[in-house]
Amino acid sequence: MKTPLGLLIALAIAVSACAPQPGAPTGAATQATTPVKGGTVTIPIVADPTLNPWSPNSFVESIFVNRILFAGVTKPGKDLAPVGDLATKWEAAADGLSWTFTLRDNVTWSDGKPFSADDVAFTFNDVVLNKELGANGRGNFANVLKKVTVVDPKTVKFELASRFSALPSYLAYNAGILPKHALSSGNPVTNNAFNKGTPVTTGPFKVEKFSPGQSLVLTRNEEYFGDKAHLDKLVFSIVPDANTQIAQALSGEIQIMLLDNKAAVDRVKSASNLKVASRPLVQYYWLALNQTDERFQDVRVRQAFMYAINRPAIISSVEKGYGKVANSAITPALAAYHDPSLEKEYAYDPEKAKKLLTDAGWKIGSDGVMAKDGKPFKFTMDVGQKGILEPANELIQQDLKKVGIVADLSSQEWNSYIQKVVVRRDYVATVNWWVYPSDPDVLPYYHSTAAGKGFNIPGFKDAKLDDLLQQGQAATDLEQRKSVYKQLQRYMADNLPYIFLWYPEEIDVVSTSLQGVPALNLRDGMHYVQEWWLAKK
Amino acid sequence: MLLFVSVLTFFFVNLSPGGPSSIMRIDATAEQREALTRRMGLDKPVPERYASWLGAAVRGDLGTSLLTDEPVGKRIADRLPATLLLAGVSLGASIALGIPLGVVSALRRNRFVDHAVGLFSVLGLSVPAFWLGIVMILVFSVELRLLPSSGIVTVGEDSLADRLAHLAMPSVVLATTILPSVVRFTRSSLLEVLGQDYVRTAVAKGLAPLVVTYVHALRNALIPVVSVIGTLLPRLLGGAVVTEAVFGWPGMGRLALEAANGRDYPLVMGITMVVALVAIVTSLVVDLAYTWLDPRVRLAA
Repeated sequence: MKTPLGLLIALAIAVSACAPQPGAPTGAATQATTPVKGGTVTIPIVADPTLNPWSPNSFVESIFVNRILFAGVTKPGKDLAPVGDLATKWEAAADGLSWTFTLRDNVTWSDGKPFSADDVAFTFNDVVLNKELGANGRGNFANVLKKVTVVDPKTVKFELASRFSALPSYLAYNAGILPKHALSSGNPVTNNAFNKGTPVTTGPFKVEKFSPGQSLVLTRNEEYFGDKAHLDKLVFSIVPDANTQIAQALSGEIQIMLLDNKAAVDRVKSASNLKVASRPLVQYYWLALNQTDERFQDVRVRQAFMYAINRPAIISSVEKGYGKVANSAITPALAAYHDPSLEKEYAYDPEKAKKLLTDAGWKIGSDGVMAKDGKPFKFTMDVGQKGILEPANELIQQDLKKVGIVADLSSQEWNSYIQKVVVRRDYVATVNWWVYPSDPDVLPYYHSTAAGKGFNIPGFKDAKLDDLLQQGQAATDLEQRKSVYKQLQRYMADNLPYIFLWYPEEIDVVSTSLQGVPALNLRDGMHYVQEWWLAKK
Repeated sequence: MLLFVSVLTFFFVNLSPGGPSSIMRIDATAEQREALTRRMGLDKPVPERYASWLGAAVRGDLGTSLLTDEPVGKRIADRLPATLLLAGVSLGASIALGIPLGVVSALRRNRFVDHAVGLFSVLGLSVPAFWLGIVMILVFSVELRLLPSSGIVTVGEDSLADRLAHLAMPSVVLATTILPSVVRFTRSSLLEVLGQDYVRTAVAKGLAPLVVTYVHALRNALIPVVSVIGTLLPRLLGGAVVTEAVFGWPGMGRLALEAANGRDYPLVMGITMVVALVAIVTSLVVDLAYTWLDPRVRLAA
């Protein structure tokens, strides 16, 4: 069900587009502006979620619902900078090695028990930092967090191994707090009565009923510590097929969804019951050139790749225009830190790419292929079968050919690909993407200590880059951080630890009757479902 | 037989590249991968894992799903009834429709009806189930808004009518994967029987043509059809994988897809065993149906 499906769905959509839309409103919809209480909103997810943000089996389908159910110490604000959730305020010690968070005092768990600092300490000390559990997202904290101590029932102290000014942002990222009283006996990440049944939660909605393979029904939590939700219920409907999800949005069975198949955006736009919104993401696509390969150690060669790849063409083809050219790891979604002045660099210029390669000692042969010391510039790119990776790789392959670089594509099933490229690092070049917490601290993906085993996939090592990354972690003052990360972006763009490709944007499909959805990407928007409401027809 | 299937599946599944999804994630750290590998017992050699799996399986314990940490038996039991319902309705509909259509085609051989049925059979065989499914959803759910596009029941509205509405499209789509075969085998088998001597004898005796067709000929013609239906069951279960994915039907087919994609070894094993068991039981039922339809089989045995 891969490539031909897209063609067939296009055909099927063409068939249906010929018929008139029944039930389409004739006049302009009257927009009420005061929220109305009541109603049910249905959201599709592709598989059964695991209702525990730290479970190693909590995959992408679980993120939506876990962000609703489990409040964190902080959460992403509407500008993605961290704001308080279970905490009301926080402060770093002068040496930056400990952070004190003051917690709310009116929070109760969905089983009526009071929330306290013990729950925060339990979540981090007994779940995240317990090596044996392999908790999801543990990598964000394991190297930097020593332990959490309870100062008093409403105050916790995070003790750090090194300065880490991104802590409040990381605490907002899939770091929901678990109930100590419900999980302290047995394994806290594999408790099925909790993960697959009725978990004890603090969010604006709580679990009413979980029917495996069918749906998860949430109802409003009347004891929620913040403003109570407007909607009565939220239903997560388990719909594995992306095209069926689109059909359900068109037929009004679901009210809000992420449109993964961007090819369908025109059909969705033409539907009168739906609105389409594009949102920036904290995500970027990259091409990793393995730094153990001598050819890629020359910065001129890496710059040549940047000029050779026609990135705007890739964005308009595989992303239907929903994306921006990337020249560093810090995405436009992080508006406070992103440097827009870099956006114009590395405009598509195959001649410049050829010149840079010639400067680096490569000569174009009679067969049109660059060669050095009698060896042609030829390598294999490993391609994971997921999302738009395959078509993107084909476009990159064509662009590289135009400057005399031959890239053979080797396409693999996703699990095998991860095994080969990420676990064994047995690759020369590969395209993939990073999604990271909403903070410019990208140290785990670039620092030399992560080369070869951590998230530093190309294995790029550079003392100046390391230094800038560490300065960023140490700077607690916002203006100081901004200045460090601006320098970091400049340095990344010049030295290209990864070949930066593009920042994708997501397309959200929302029913015209659903109001109060903040202008955020849908996953971060899950922290604000209590503000959603349904306009009466 | 089951043992043979289990050995084969176990070793093939473990040969497939990659590992369970929870380990094979781009954002998992090396340390996390190690902890999970140990917890799932994947650090032990395959024969040792098979021996411990078999030991537990004969005692009725199919192990724990790597993707959800739930018992495999429970995950299958949750999903089996939905698939049995869908497959049962599709099979019933295929038989109830396929045999009469085959009979009509045979009796009106080379006439308009025969050609029309033949055309639809070829179409039914050649149209992929997922495409038919999507087209039906676009027509009946999106345009006409008559039928729900996904699931087995509407949340909070559990009535018989609602369940039937959810069942309609998936069972039609699944039935098209086997209906053409039933029609064509009934037709050719009946044509063959109608040319036999005893049928001509019956006609010569002066029996009414209807009695000859339905009492004498059809009963004999159905014997090969029954065995064909037996061989179509695996195709029905295979078709269920696609149909269930398109219509979000919470059955075993979708579970099998999730298990294979996520490299959930114990779950793949459990599903294979259950399907093998179903296949063995149905072939037994087909054999029994034979003896009822054809007394000669009983005498020979």
